[in-house]
Amino acid sequence: MSAALVVPGLCLYIAVSCALAYIFPQSVLAFLLVEASLLLLYYVHISDRVKFLLGGLVLLVLLPVLGFSNAYYFEIAIQIGIFVALALGLNIVVGFVGLLNLGFVAFYAIGAYLWAVFGSPQANNFVPAIMGGWFPLSANWFFVFLLLSIVVGGAAGALLGLPVLRLRGDYLAIVTLGFAEVVRALVNNLDKPINLTNGPRGISPISKPPLFFKPLLEFFGIQVSDAALYPMYFYFLVLLLVCVIILVTQRLENSRVGRAWKAIREDEIAASAMGVPVVRMKLLGFAVGASFASAVGVLFAAKQVFINPESFTFMESIGVLAMVILGGMGSVPGAILGATGVTILNLQLLKGLSLWLNGLRQSGAVWSIPLLGDLSLANLPAQFEPAKYERMIFGLILILMMIFRPQGILPPKQGAKK
Amino acid sequence: MEIALEILPQVLLDGIVLGFMYALIALGYTMVYGVLEFINFAHSEIFVLGSFVGVEVLLLLQSAGLLATLHPALILLLVIVTGMTISGLAAMTLERIAYRPLMGGPRLVALISAIGASFFLQDALRLFESLWRNTFYLNYPTLDFLDRNLPITASLTIPVKSLLVIVTAILTLLGLHFFVNRTRMGMAIRAVAQDPDTASLMGVPVNRVIALTFFVGGALGGLAGVLFGIHYSLVNPYSGFVPGMKAFTAAVLGGIGNIPGAMVGGMLLGLLEAFAASYLSILTDGAFGAEYKDVVAFVVLIVILIFRPKGLLGEAVRESKA
Amino acid sequence: MALLELRDISKRFGGLQALSLVSMNIEEGMIASLIGPNGAGKTTLFNTLTGLYRPDQGEIRFQARSLVGMKPESITGAGISRTFQNIRLFGHMSVLDNVLVGMHTRLDSSLVDIFLASKKFHAGEKAARRRAHELIELTGLTGRENEWAQQLSYGEQRRLEIARALAAAPQLLLLDEPTAGMNASEAQSLMGLFKDLMGRYVKAILLIEHNMRVVMGVSDCVHVLDYGEKIAEGVPDAVRRDPRVIEAYLGTGDWLKNAQR
Repeated sequence: MSAALVVPGLCLYIAVSCALAYIFPQSVLAFLLVEASLLLLYYVHISDRVKFLLGGLVLLVLLPVLGFSNAYYFEIAIQIGIFVALALGLNIVVGFVGLLNLGFVAFYAIGAYLWAVFGSPQANNFVPAIMGGWFPLSANWFFVFLLLSIVVGGAAGALLGLPVLRLRGDYLAIVTLGFAEVVRALVNNLDKPINLTNGPRGISPISKPPLFFKPLLEFFGIQVSDAALYPMYFYFLVLLLVCVIILVTQRLENSRVGRAWKAIREDEIAASAMGVPVVRMKLLGFAVGASFASAVGVLFAAKQVFINPESFTFMESIGVLAMVILGGMGSVPGAILGATGVTILNLQLLKGLSLWLNGLRQSGAVWSIPLLGDLSLANLPAQFEPAKYERMIFGLILILMMIFRPQGILPPKQGAKK
Repeated sequence: MEIALEILPQVLLDGIVLGFMYALIALGYTMVYGVLEFINFAHSEIFVLGSFVGVEVLLLLQSAGLLATLHPALILLLVIVTGMTISGLAAMTLERIAYRPLMGGPRLVALISAIGASFFLQDALRLFESLWRNTFYLNYPTLDFLDRNLPITASLTIPVKSLLVIVTAILTLLGLHFFVNRTRMGMAIRAVAQDPDTASLMGVPVNRVIALTFFVGGALGGLAGVLFGIHYSLVNPYSGFVPGMKAFTAAVLGGIGNIPGAMVGGMLLGLLEAFAASYLSILTDGAFGAEYKDVVAFVVLIVILIFRPKGLLGEAVRESKA
Repeated sequence: MALLELRDISKRFGGLQALSLVSMNIEEGMIASLIGPNGAGKTTLFNTLTGLYRPDQGEIRFQARSLVGMKPESITGAGISRTFQNIRLFGHMSVLDNVLVGMHTRLDSSLVDIFLASKKFHAGEKAARRRAHELIELTGLTGRENEWAQQLSYGEQRRLEIARALAAAPQLLLLDEPTAGMNASEAQSLMGLFKDLMGRYVKAILLIEHNMRVVMGVSDCVHVLDYGEKIAEGVPDAVRRDPRVIEAYLGTGDWLKNAQR
């Protein structure tokens, strides 16, 4: 195909898919087409400037417009963004440094609880009464905590890493898993003797970030309710966070630090013989990944308003791992694709399938299966819902990828340009 | 203090029962690690599978009206043998499908596949039970002959269920000891654990030995599952994770790859957990209670791996040359 | 004073005395060879020198500084780098990146420099790349920069190992069987390379080698190990005629004499 046709073709595709999503706000498929346009952009051979221009157009203009027409689109985009950020963080640990971290969600939880505790009345439970009434902290503290979470998450990562990074790979994996379970058990049980986390009941309401730009909007005469504004606000916050993480990751990857990480992954002994301080670099990788997760946690807590330990199970760690592996370990575009794909699978495809099946069940449809006879869908047990089987999906992804394509869908490019 | 002494026999008994279960599960981890240097993450699901097979057999017997008419020993034998066989076969199948194609590659690749298998099996069990019984939380039917207490002294009685766990586990462990040390196949397993390459040169069929190891380890896990179900009654597809992690801890505690180590580690961990569950609250005046027993187990794991990664009896782990 | 001084180095693995009381000096400007039958302890000596093993006893002094107990990466930083007998490249990294990893200790960009992509960072990277290309050219790998190391041929991988070791800007270069598996002409060209390196890139080379043509052709001094002990040292011709060396390589021949009697 000649290059002259590619760009108009792409524009047409984007326009049509957006129009479809706009006209059919219930259609999962239409929204998938919009999301696929970004993947298409990644693959086609056009100049980087055009790519960024079109990508920016989709992410900064078209998606928000669609989101305003249907807030569900924002919700999905935010979820995708959160998982993309987590996957990028785990990709540093697993993909670059080559350490299997099965407890990545612990750092996510640390960040989330950091803001949840101080951004809600919860902290009044243990901060002495003289200082009482301070909490919840005002929304403006959100950004301070976002920065703070990077430090706290990094420190937690280093603290865990310090004693365990000398362990062999598979032992390390189990220890990180144990660490995450300990963190979860603590969060679950530290509602006594002092109520730090409110235990399994969770924390609510958590402050949202400040709408500092609202006066500006009003100045221009735009009147939007807060409820309509927040989804878009979170969308842009997540997008910003993801962009910062991508930028930082790329800078690190193309520096002595990133090269040292990959060298450790390839051959630890040779790396140390080349002057790479192995333990320090592993710690750094652990800490950087943890700080990403922790920052995402702050954002997650603010978006959810309510959090409890249920959001930070081993299941989540494996989900993020599946994203990184599906996309391709050590590849930034891979992590993004993996996170997007798995999130869409979970949020849209499986839920859609469940709804469709329930609809069929209620309508009492009957399928004729050759040799087996008729299957009345009304007789399908109510327990059978595809959306509930994400473990099976993740499990299959992990096994099949390991057997047939361990390098993932978008593995790191060989001879990538610098 | 008086309370502490009063509950001591009960705590010891709980600890021993738990210890034998952990030991049985830990053997599966340790034997597989011995021959392949690989953490069979899905072993916890093999254990749960045993629980489900047990409950299904009992429920089928019940619906056939045989539960009251058959001899209790026959019922137990049937449940245990079926549970062990199916779990063992499942472990073998798992090895054939999800692990064998990956051996020889990086160890983490196989570990990730094992994690995938673990997750897959959890939901596969759930799917099966959802379609079959429309629920995946199953209760073991009550067996009257097990719901009794044997008086030992005036103040101490032992539930028959606990006795069943202890006796079965001891018999199995003795059998395993005989199998590993006195039979040809057992010796082949030890040879492969020592050095697979040399063993294969000596004519040991390595792949068959590995499959056999998975079968034996899986069968022991299945037995633990059946006993777990009989003892604690309620099973669900996700109930394997925590016992599995603890049994793995027990295996590491004893020195992974080391068969007597798994038994010692399991017993130690079981006792530790029972003590933590009962005494933590007494020691801390109620501030921290039984809910921290899992934390204690995981902290033990982390501490051991950091300070004594080869475990208490360890040395059996081959240091793969860097 | 010698660049590197080993005094009475011993290392034991269980029941095996891998090195016993080995002493040697490597002078500046010298290409030294370490030879000996298989299992004589040559690679063990390299591993001890580079901090992978800690000697049970003895002293290692490099430029008058003790290296015993230092970590491998610090020893590289101090000016010794090595290649591996059983090629240990970073397989899934490009040829260029392999060489750049070798420069880790010579790059001083901090995390802040990296995050902000500061001038200092760019200047450092640019200089490193320039030097990497120079080393790649020196070892004859020009044009392969962006290929993964695992795709190179065996001989190319051996040369990349040398380029990577040189990237650490060592004063002393340790080469573990650099010509293993090479044909005569490849080995010949590598010998030329060793001589070119002296003075311009490194102050001294110590190589383990089985190819006697190479040993005799390039060495200023030859050290012979047998069963962990040093049995001879000297210029190539003298070592070649040393009866203990001949005995170590060929056996005593006593049984032969006895049989003839």
